[in-house]
Amino acid sequence: MNNVTITVNAQTLSAPEGSILLQVLLDNGVSVPHFCYHEALGVDGNCRMCMVEIEGQKRPQIACNTRVKEGMSIRTLSDSIMAVKRSILELELINHPVDCPICDQAGECSLQNYYMEVGLYESRIDRADKVRKAKKVDLGSHVILDQERCVLCARCTRFTENIIGTGDLVIANRGNHACVTTFEPQGLKADGYAMNVVDLCPVGALTSGDFRFHQRVWFLKSDPSLCHGCARGCSIFIDHYPQKYGDDLIYRYRPRVEREVNGFFICDEGRLSYKNHTGDATLTTPRYSGTAITLSEALELYHQKLAASGSGVVALASPSLSCENLTALRDYCLQYAIPLFGVERGSFDETFGDDFLRLNDRAANRSALPLLGISEDESEMNAALCAASLVLNFDNQTPVSVDQIHFCVHPIDTRELQIPIAPYTEQSGSIINAFGKVQKFASTIRRRHPVPPLHELLSTIKGLA
Amino acid sequence: MAFTVVPRHGNTLKERMYLPSLIGGLSTTFGTFFKNISDTQAIPTLEYPEIMPTDITSRYRGHHRLTHRDDGSIRCVACFMCATACPAQCIFIEAVERNDGCDEKMPERFDIDLLECVFCGYCVEACPCDAIRMDSNIFSIVAKERRDFVVGKEYLLRVRGGYEPETSQAALGGEHE
Repeated sequence: MNNVTITVNAQTLSAPEGSILLQVLLDNGVSVPHFCYHEALGVDGNCRMCMVEIEGQKRPQIACNTRVKEGMSIRTLSDSIMAVKRSILELELINHPVDCPICDQAGECSLQNYYMEVGLYESRIDRADKVRKAKKVDLGSHVILDQERCVLCARCTRFTENIIGTGDLVIANRGNHACVTTFEPQGLKADGYAMNVVDLCPVGALTSGDFRFHQRVWFLKSDPSLCHGCARGCSIFIDHYPQKYGDDLIYRYRPRVEREVNGFFICDEGRLSYKNHTGDATLTTPRYSGTAITLSEALELYHQKLAASGSGVVALASPSLSCENLTALRDYCLQYAIPLFGVERGSFDETFGDDFLRLNDRAANRSALPLLGISEDESEMNAALCAASLVLNFDNQTPVSVDQIHFCVHPIDTRELQIPIAPYTEQSGSIINAFGKVQKFASTIRRRHPVPPLHELLSTIKGLA
Repeated sequence: MAFTVVPRHGNTLKERMYLPSLIGGLSTTFGTFFKNISDTQAIPTLEYPEIMPTDITSRYRGHHRLTHRDDGSIRCVACFMCATACPAQCIFIEAVERNDGCDEKMPERFDIDLLECVFCGYCVEACPCDAIRMDSNIFSIVAKERRDFVVGKEYLLRVRGGYEPETSQAALGGEHE
């Protein structure tokens, strides 16, 4: 497409001819209130909120359904267009319950933002006269619907219909009584992607049942990271909050736009996997025989056991460890001539994958193993395990019948020696996804008593030897 | 190096005689002594804590309290506005689903660390529900241990207002949503 020149509020912009005007404006940082348009869902034109003035047109036009043409002159800030936007917003909000104090969307709500931007009118309808609808409908899949807060933008119904293809959600009834609902009785499933409607919903109509009432969003800090739930490595935001007297807790994962990997969405399983990396879910102190010990005691025990086992030591690495950790581990094993395997039984889940985002391979960094020269030969590993007297297990879930030393993220129900290593949320590194894309992630969570990442722990161990 | 000569006081003849100042001081002391002993009711000092002050105004910011709805349930909906406004970050709230039909949300835990509180009253200003007030008239907060100064929801609900009307803004004729 040819680039053409358009004028927006007396500022000149260059944009591809025929592209969506609203998207061009948003990409160039021009604020245009909108509800129904979403880059992933395309144009629907039902909310009428994105009105702009186009020179030569008699009436204001919706920017989402207008294509860019050479020489267009657009105004978004004139008094007349502000009055139009104000009256449309007033119509959208006419039956809104204004229950922001108990609404989880407050703080990231389009209605709140647009009211401050173009609204600021006095309500002309008494609260007693507003149309009442269902307040707390559990749609299933951790999605809670509040029909009173809905602006009927149809983003959620278009998501289930056009993106997922299940069509779980519909808008039923007409006029004042129109509301989003599900086809009884199966509820919202959306093939394991249901919670994306919570992000899509511009208002507080669809909120997360998992996040419900746990924290107000303005307290949360958002940091970019990568989901380690499967071999795709979806881009996410980790929303966390360092407690005043407690630890830095993760409250939710949200999808981060990464067109080459996950687009705009993530699966529910990945979204809820934050629970495995926050608070008490991870191992924080070394344990032996069921009791907590200090790290120096644990490393002393480690060296004793290693010396006692002689040459019968085998190491197993999790294929979800970052490239940095795997490299350090490979170098350590080479130095002490310990055979290292990157095979993890059970990390392929044939029931998990689908044709959208989820992949059967549940390991985040398996593509790095051949590049680093770490063996993936399962029969060779089985032979080595049969002959082994001690297994160094680096967060690998493969069941082993020999005596083990666990370097693990999560506590294991065993009396063997467990030494904690930091989860990916607490260290920086890089992973290679199933399609060969190298992606970096940064440390987001700062614990009060940090657990060292594996590569740091290995250099400590080397220093002691 | 520059230096300044500071003039010494007490070098005049009257000051060096010492007695005039002594007599001046003692006359004030004994004047007040005889005045007070002749009319003990007029002494401006209170025999605190046996006698409590009675002139605290209704604007005085005392111990916090959580108010009730007309049906006796907690007014707070755990919107965290007070915790957001608090400059000392001494309000700790955990919200929970509310199933009594009044509302959707209420605090499971509502703790105020009174040692960290600066009694600025911002929480009262921020509250959209008139759920927290500082009109208890309680100015003296005593406890034996640090952790006893962290007061919880049940305690704050028990603290009573120091002024009529006692319970809620409803009694003042205001809207309370």
